[in-house]
Amino acid sequence: MIFKIAFKNVWRNKVRSMIVIISVTLGLTGGIFAVSIITGMMEQKVRMDINNETSHIQIHHPQFLKNFESQYSIPDADSIAGMISKWSDVKAVCTRIRITGMAASPNSVAGVQIMGVDPLQEKKVSDLYATIPDTGGGYFTGTRKNQIVIGRKLADKLKVRLKSKIVIRFQNTDGNLAEAAFSVNGIFRTANTVFDETNVFIKKSDLNPLMEGENESQEIAVILKDIDKIPVAETLLKSRLPGLDIRNWIELRPEMGLITSAIAIEVYIILGIILFALAFGIVNTMMMIVFERTRELGMLMAVGMSKSRVFRMIMLETVFLTLIGGIIGMILGAALTGFFHRTGIDLSSLSKGLGAYGFDAKIYPFISRELYINLTVMIFCTGILSAIMPARKALKLKPVEAIRIE
Amino acid sequence: MTNDLIYNDLRLMTNINGMNIIEIRNLTKVYDAKTIPVYALNGVDLAFREGEFTCIVGPSGSGKTTMLNLVGGLDSPTGGEIVIDNTDITGLKSRMLIDFRLRNIGFVFQSFNLIPVLTAKENVEFIMQLQGVNKEQRDKRTLELLDSVGLSDKINVRPNKLSGGQQQRVAVARALASKPKFILADEPTANLDSKSAENLLEIMEILNREENITFIFSTHDPRVVAKARRVITLEDGKIVGDISKN
Ligand SMILES: Nc1ncnc2c1ncn2[C@@H]1O[C@H](COP(=O)(O)OP(=O)(O)OP(=O)(O)O)[C@@H](O)[C@H]1O
Ligand SMILES: [Mg+2]
Repeated sequence: MIFKIAFKNVWRNKVRSMIVIISVTLGLTGGIFAVSIITGMMEQKVRMDINNETSHIQIHHPQFLKNFESQYSIPDADSIAGMISKWSDVKAVCTRIRITGMAASPNSVAGVQIMGVDPLQEKKVSDLYATIPDTGGGYFTGTRKNQIVIGRKLADKLKVRLKSKIVIRFQNTDGNLAEAAFSVNGIFRTANTVFDETNVFIKKSDLNPLMEGENESQEIAVILKDIDKIPVAETLLKSRLPGLDIRNWIELRPEMGLITSAIAIEVYIILGIILFALAFGIVNTMMMIVFERTRELGMLMAVGMSKSRVFRMIMLETVFLTLIGGIIGMILGAALTGFFHRTGIDLSSLSKGLGAYGFDAKIYPFISRELYINLTVMIFCTGILSAIMPARKALKLKPVEAIRIE
Repeated sequence: MTNDLIYNDLRLMTNINGMNIIEIRNLTKVYDAKTIPVYALNGVDLAFREGEFTCIVGPSGSGKTTMLNLVGGLDSPTGGEIVIDNTDITGLKSRMLIDFRLRNIGFVFQSFNLIPVLTAKENVEFIMQLQGVNKEQRDKRTLELLDSVGLSDKINVRPNKLSGGQQQRVAVARALASKPKFILADEPTANLDSKSAENLLEIMEILNREENITFIFSTHDPRVVAKARRVITLEDGKIVGDISKN
């Protein structure tokens, strides 16, 4: 009954209630959309990092990531990879040679990571090949020896084009200097310009003879069917390969882990500030309502409505007011997010700046279900907290004073 | 002198019958006790019996509202006792008092009696919901009550679509809904035209006569006073007259 009265009370002053409802709606729609852009950017960044660079899990010799010396290779890497690839959660596995070295063109020299890959294996684990634009050549096309695939940024730095020659130089496993000339077969372009500047890809079959060791790999990269399976796969790998260094993508890119969790907090701060501001409007409106209904509330208490019921009635009315706006706001926010999730928002005018930080120029807003659930709880709490002051004011009314005719 | 005699006679009579539902002893209410004290009620002794149809009269400021508020447990006195059904309500805590009002006293105010968002039926039903009466009984009683105040055709109408007189009749039905021991009405006809006022009084009278409902009301309207069977006159917070008719 109190439920019913409270609900009907919301519509007593339609204009005023609509103003509150609309402000809550707009506040939340805007908040959700802003948050969805931020999380969408993050989500894309994470996905690209994983797909183009880190994959889900990487395996190395325990010493390798400390100084990147090629002597720390993984013993029996290919048979390990073969074993892992049979696990049900695993989508694909590849082995890589990974050495630091120099890339030189007639114009310039740059320090690079040289990745020796098996293109067929590699394409199953990494989407890097897909970032090569139509005008950027291919990913190890044809049968010619000594092809190299480099990033756009490095190509610019070395002032080279497709089919240009680059000399690659590095210290091989035996400590001798090795070098060979390669011809640019493809130029990829990820959203991460730093990655594009520092990574070159060569076929294992071309690199192995220069290494002098036999078929050694410094890195095994694993991509799983589902990102949520990382902890399971990690535990299994650690128990099966106790002597090796097993890292997930967050451990490989600790700054990414930090950014993702900072953003997750930031999102709640943004929504919290919006709700806090809205709460002021709600409190103000409800205080006015209690003031206007002084006589009616006095009458209700006079005829026997208990204080706790009066309190609950005002509370419910406030919560209804907040929730109506809150739910509409969430629906609109979700609709807006959903729409742009499909079409994407093109920020190419800003893309140079974003690219430097590894973000894509086109953003697909996205919001997790968890955030929606938490937001519902937050809106509900806002309603309850905003109700406390008006409801307390109502309780302080004395029936005689409230019903006295002036 | 005459007044005093009648008054004493009444007290004697009521004491003998032992049917008092309200006993007021030495009731005093002082406003602004610290600055210039106003004795709104000054040592009032009074008793009401079941089935009374009593009117309280007196000039403006004589203490009528103050007395009805105190008897109704809406305000607390400066001194004295109000015993209703063996309970001294002046000693009750606020929470208990609200519940006491809900179960024992019906109220009809001058205005703002009804909840605007509820229909006539819902307004009457509301009190019984507070009391925890089940749905079936509520429905039955609500319809009976609205019928007894002549509003069976306005059951689903909201207060703003009812005339002032109709609203007051709903208020009477609402006051009756809780099956109170008595009904207090402070100037229930003050906002009504004379025809509606007369009509309201007629309904109250019938309820009193046929169902033995106790009414205690105040008024300035001589025609309303004329309907009462007992008239108590207040002046400066004191009882200066108490006349019973048969
Ligand atoms: N809250 C209050 N504060 C101070 N004085 C008050 C208060 N309420 C009533 N009084 C005073 O107490 C006295 C009695 O007032 P009360 O309202 O009981 O009179 P009344 O007989 O109901 O008058 P009316 O016929 O005008 O309604 C008056 O002098 C009034 O000014
Ligand atoms: Mg009065």
